[in-house]
Amino acid sequence: MQSLANPARFLKIANAVLPWVWAAAALSLAAGLYGALAAAPADYQQGETVRIIFVHVPAAWMALFVYTVMASASAAAIVFRHPLADVAAKAAAPIGAAFCFLALVTGSIWGKPMWGAWWVWDARLTSMFVLLLLYLGYMAIWQAIDEPHRAAQIARIVALVGFVNVPVVKFSVDWWNSLHQPASVFRMGGPTIHISILWPLLVMGLAYTLLFLALHLVAMRSEIAARKIRQLRIARIGDR
Amino acid sequence: MNAMWALIRRDLTLSLRQGGGVGTALGFFLTVVVLLPLGLGPDQALLQRIAPGALWIALLLSVLLSADRIFQQDFEDGSLEILAMAPLPLELVALAKAMAHWLSTSLPLAVTAPLLGFLINLEPQAVLPLGLAMGLGSVTLSLLAAVGAAVTVGLRRGGLLVSLLVLPLYVPVLIFGLSAAGGGPDLATASLLILLALALASLVLSPLAAAAALRSYLK
Amino acid sequence: MDLASPHTGFVAAAYVISALVLFGLTAFILMRDRRLRAEAEALDHQRAKDAR
Repeated sequence: MQSLANPARFLKIANAVLPWVWAAAALSLAAGLYGALAAAPADYQQGETVRIIFVHVPAAWMALFVYTVMASASAAAIVFRHPLADVAAKAAAPIGAAFCFLALVTGSIWGKPMWGAWWVWDARLTSMFVLLLLYLGYMAIWQAIDEPHRAAQIARIVALVGFVNVPVVKFSVDWWNSLHQPASVFRMGGPTIHISILWPLLVMGLAYTLLFLALHLVAMRSEIAARKIRQLRIARIGDR
Repeated sequence: MNAMWALIRRDLTLSLRQGGGVGTALGFFLTVVVLLPLGLGPDQALLQRIAPGALWIALLLSVLLSADRIFQQDFEDGSLEILAMAPLPLELVALAKAMAHWLSTSLPLAVTAPLLGFLINLEPQAVLPLGLAMGLGSVTLSLLAAVGAAVTVGLRRGGLLVSLLVLPLYVPVLIFGLSAAGGGPDLATASLLILLALALASLVLSPLAAAAALRSYLK
Repeated sequence: MDLASPHTGFVAAAYVISALVLFGLTAFILMRDRRLRAEAEALDHQRAKDAR
């Protein structure tokens, strides 16, 4: 980690790694889509709509995963004062929000044929919606505060307070009667899904994760450039 | 301890003298409760079903609307800076101010809300459990509002942002608050215990977060 | 996949929207990156020129 602290060093490593990440993402996406649309059989009860699982569940996984990355980066910023930690958190947010949005939309599209309603306030959907609000609030803080150092400090707090809230919301909303499927992959007893559905699901999950990694690295690169621009502009004013 | 009590008394006195405290919040609360039957129609059965939820929402919104009073004025006139330099840790300052807000706004509302429930046909046996739940919940609501207020204290248009930040945090309180009022005795007891846990957790975490945010604005 | 299934529309919608959002996000991030890096380099050159 310490070796990545220097932005220039980080950029070198990121630039070297990126093409491979893009390639791996593209390959796994292709494999996943083949599995999702061609190889996997239609569900006995749900018919073809079960295929929506392959874009819905990975998106939901990513929404939660990215928020965890954001919160961890914020914690690292506070505890270790790692110079790139705030950059990592800020860069991750829009990507996580996009995945969260996708999880909600694809879930809604899946819900219509399955439950007959575009939207229901059940456990998972409600927690996902709250998660989206948390993402938006975090992004809004960066927009609202002009001074970058202060923005970073406040953003860290917002990310961590939100992170504490995520399991609480999950738990509280589970308290309600839930229409959504109970956890079928990340369970104590191991996955209950049939292997023919499971493997495309995992491959799509991998593809989404690699996509996030690539986008995150690029977004961090942009953020470092933006900071440099700000510093250079300030320096120019000082020069005159 | 004495310093904290002094700070709480000071805030209470200020809010009483300046008004805009309980008055505004109660006024907003009454507006919601009166407009609801008008908006939903006179169907008494419907009103009875939604009454606990409506009262909770009115409470949430009232607390949220009055949140910026917690730190805003003191931040603007420099008192907060002086308080930050005082021997009392900023965390305890934040806690004291949140408690003053609770005493002046949230708690009075939480106590009167179930009593006003008759306006929307709240069933009588729900009054006590709802009152208990709201009383407990109001502690968490004020503490979380303090975090939102601290995070946005230096911002020009922080109002909308406070709502966006705090509402996700209010969701669990609302959910457990409702099941405390609505369900059978077992469910109600469990929900009240969880509300208590939420209140205790907020008592610890909220001052930490609020003080950290305030420090960042006071630099 | 059975294309004649009554729910094909829903499946298609889910996949198309996912593709649009993810491609859109990727395009936005890549274009912003290009723009910012170009601007940083331009300012860098300008500063180097001014220093001479």
